[in-house]
Amino acid sequence: MKPLNFAILKYFTSGKEACRADVQEALKADYSGFRAFKDKAMDEALMTAASNGLIEESRLDLDENGNLVIYYRALEDGIAAINSYIKD
Amino acid sequence: MSERAMSGGAMQAPAGALDAKRKMEKSFRIKGIFIALMSGFLYGGYTAFMTQGMATGVWADWYGPASTLSAFALVYTLSSAGAAVNDICSAIWSIIYAAIIGRLGDFGRSLRSKPGKILILAAVIGGPLASTAYVVGLQMAGSIIIPIAALNAAIGAIIGRIIYKQVLSGGMIFGIAVCFAAAVLIGSTGLTGIDGFSAKTLLGMLAGFLAALGWGIEGAVGGYACCMVDYEVAIVIRQCTSGLVNGVILVSFLSLIGGDGIGSGLALVGQALVDAPSIWMFVIGGVFASFSFKFWYKGASMCGAALGMGCNGTYAFWGPFWCWIVIGLIFKNPDYAIPWQGWVGAIVMVIGIVILALSQDRASKKEA
Repeated sequence: MKPLNFAILKYFTSGKEACRADVQEALKADYSGFRAFKDKAMDEALMTAASNGLIEESRLDLDENGNLVIYYRALEDGIAAINSYIKD
Repeated sequence: MSERAMSGGAMQAPAGALDAKRKMEKSFRIKGIFIALMSGFLYGGYTAFMTQGMATGVWADWYGPASTLSAFALVYTLSSAGAAVNDICSAIWSIIYAAIIGRLGDFGRSLRSKPGKILILAAVIGGPLASTAYVVGLQMAGSIIIPIAALNAAIGAIIGRIIYKQVLSGGMIFGIAVCFAAAVLIGSTGLTGIDGFSAKTLLGMLAGFLAALGWGIEGAVGGYACCMVDYEVAIVIRQCTSGLVNGVILVSFLSLIGGDGIGSGLALVGQALVDAPSIWMFVIGGVFASFSFKFWYKGASMCGAALGMGCNGTYAFWGPFWCWIVIGLIFKNPDYAIPWQGWVGAIVMVIGIVILALSQDRASKKEA
């Protein structure tokens, strides 16, 4: 099993865009018990990855309650960087 | 923040989403700057408690007139032993804290990974190696190396620019220069001048520069690694590495080359660890160090190396400030009052950080 942060970044190497809830849905089987799996900590991990260029924002949306949803994706160089640091 | 940072510029978004995102981005940025500033503030607490610890109990005997230690051990082995005792206390605290917040599993998992190994290397470079270079520099060239070592923030910014393609504009360089000038002003009261440039002085200044290089590398590389490794995990890796390398390898090496016998350094660390009058100060210093270093990494990962390390550079003021509070006011040692240069330097440093942050904002928006 990988550390949670590694799993979050690896998730984006498929090249598909995803919001925080999508990532949580995909990783919940292994990581839902982690304290850093909570919304706020996950948002911060995604924003940190984005501010370091590993992933980038692709789209903004609002959910049915009017809350902001940010979609992220990794571009080619981001995917290459993630794969070079984090092996399978 | 990288040049590919959150832009928000041309993105399609429903009404209200862009505003909400700007708000979220702003709070992320403020939090990053706050954390980076706290790293400098808490570094002062770590310095003060370690300094007072190294003047108490068994340390007072070692440094006192009746000391039986060699001149080499007094300067080099003891500084390394002090750092070792602090780092060991800090490592134990970091492990306990990571266990409480549920990060210990990720510590084991991260250790074997590439980012984990990078963090170990960064900790060795910035911990034992840079700190020893700093002490050697001080001994050989005197306090002239204090401003040289303060170049670490500028070096971190350059490394962030070259390796991680982080944004670095002319305005940001100016802000870094203002912060550097402030650090020099604060450190200037300790300057004793140099009696001509001998080869020894130059070597000492080179050692001071190596310390700045080591800290610059650690801040930039450690900060970047924290966009992959959770900073609560990174700090356990850092303090365990630094504690082990300082406490076992470095003290043994120094006692060997000082001719005191390879086991003498380890014996000093052992005695210091069980010295009741002083160890509690190292424990407090270790807790401060743990928060300070993890905020250093986290700040650099959230703000980029330039701004993160610029904010961390406030340690140049907070170090003397905490020493004044703890050693001067609490332990009544009058040698630690802050001269006017310290207060003026602090104000200049705040101006430098504001210039740095505003210039980074402008540069990020322009590149987005």
